[in-house]
Amino acid sequence: METLSDNALMLKVKDGDLDRLGLLFERYKKPLFGFFYGMNKDAELCEDLVQNVFFRILKYRYLFRGEGDFKTWMFHIARNVNHDHYRKNKLGKTESVDEWNERLGHSDIYTTQVQQDEELKMLSLAMERLPEDKREILMLSKFQDKKYKEIGEIIGCSEGAVKVKVFRALQDLKAVYKQLEKHM
Amino acid sequence: MEQDRIQELIMKYNEGQADPSEIKMIERLIEDGTIELSQLTELKVMEEQVMKMESPIPGPELDDRFYQMLRAMKKNGSGFSWASFFSWPELAPKLAFASVTLLVGFFVGYLFVPSPQSNKEVAVLSQEISDLKEMMMFSLLEKESATDRLKAVSLTSEMSASDKVTNALLKTLNSDDNINVRLAALDALKPYANNSKVREELVRSISNQESPLVQVALADLMVELQEKSSVKELQKILKDDNTPKEVKKRIEESIKTMT
Repeated sequence: METLSDNALMLKVKDGDLDRLGLLFERYKKPLFGFFYGMNKDAELCEDLVQNVFFRILKYRYLFRGEGDFKTWMFHIARNVNHDHYRKNKLGKTESVDEWNERLGHSDIYTTQVQQDEELKMLSLAMERLPEDKREILMLSKFQDKKYKEIGEIIGCSEGAVKVKVFRALQDLKAVYKQLEKHM
Repeated sequence: MEQDRIQELIMKYNEGQADPSEIKMIERLIEDGTIELSQLTELKVMEEQVMKMESPIPGPELDDRFYQMLRAMKKNGSGFSWASFFSWPELAPKLAFASVTLLVGFFVGYLFVPSPQSNKEVAVLSQEISDLKEMMMFSLLEKESATDRLKAVSLTSEMSASDKVTNALLKTLNSDDNINVRLAALDALKPYANNSKVREELVRSISNQESPLVQVALADLMVELQEKSSVKELQKILKDDNTPKEVKKRIEESIKTMT
């Protein structure tokens, strides 16, 4: 069977062939879930948010012009869904320093975790401790395969500015990671 | 910046030796594309780890919910729905059409119904014009050129009657140096002859006139008006030795027709 491009599928959805959205859903449910999971680590919430993204894609399908990349457009929506969720619930937006220290204080709990699954688990912990915007840029970089130009389109800045944001986020991540290592 | 310096900067960063000002410089070089993120070894490792980080796989519940939503949307999507009627892409052209029609209506209405405001404006404007004419007439009367003064007299025919205008004309009739201007002033005064004050002044003017032409014209006007009080004044001209014979004859005839 001929594989239709994302854009071609989405244009068909726009024209009223809603079933085609199923194919797009199958292609992108995992990366979208991964993006949200990277942002909030709550599987149930992530499923809600993924569902919400596809609901918005359907609702605003008339806005898709087919000029840009579908994936970029979809992540743009995903980002808005995530922001709206935090705005509505006002949780986890900013993690207080106290919370931070508290978690570091209980590092013995994490020690066993880290021993079990080495670096990746620690990295995951380090990611959790990053401010939301930094976590977001790293997640976008991951799920957009480091296409900085497209990420710029999603968050509304230049390619160069995206690279600087990624640089700063990675620097912070490295710093947190090193700090965690010390506590282990 | 020189290539060597850039390499040095990258090396310093990779060794963890870069100070804050050097990090700022690296940021600038990343922004303009001189340095790629992949050149910064430690960060590259970090980034690769982020890329490798595995996320859990969404459960089957997500699929169920998605396909349920899709079915519901398809159901709503067929046929007419108020939601789609009021959705912006549908509503925008309708609203645009309605507002354009409304505006055209207002415009047509405005064209056909003169507002009281505009009537008032017209009145103010015409008042201003007549004031302007009056001013022009007075300034022309002061001119040395007889032609200008004639113009001034002819302007009075376009103006509404007022004491100001008749006084100016009478003054011209009695004191202008030029006979033609005086004759024109007399002509212009004819429409105002019904006014008793103007008539009195005209009668009084008879004896002031030295020009036979003006005298005859005044005598004719008196006959026309059947102004008997002018007889006395006309007789004064008859008694004057300077009055030409022809004029005397004409005035005598006029007096006859009046008495």
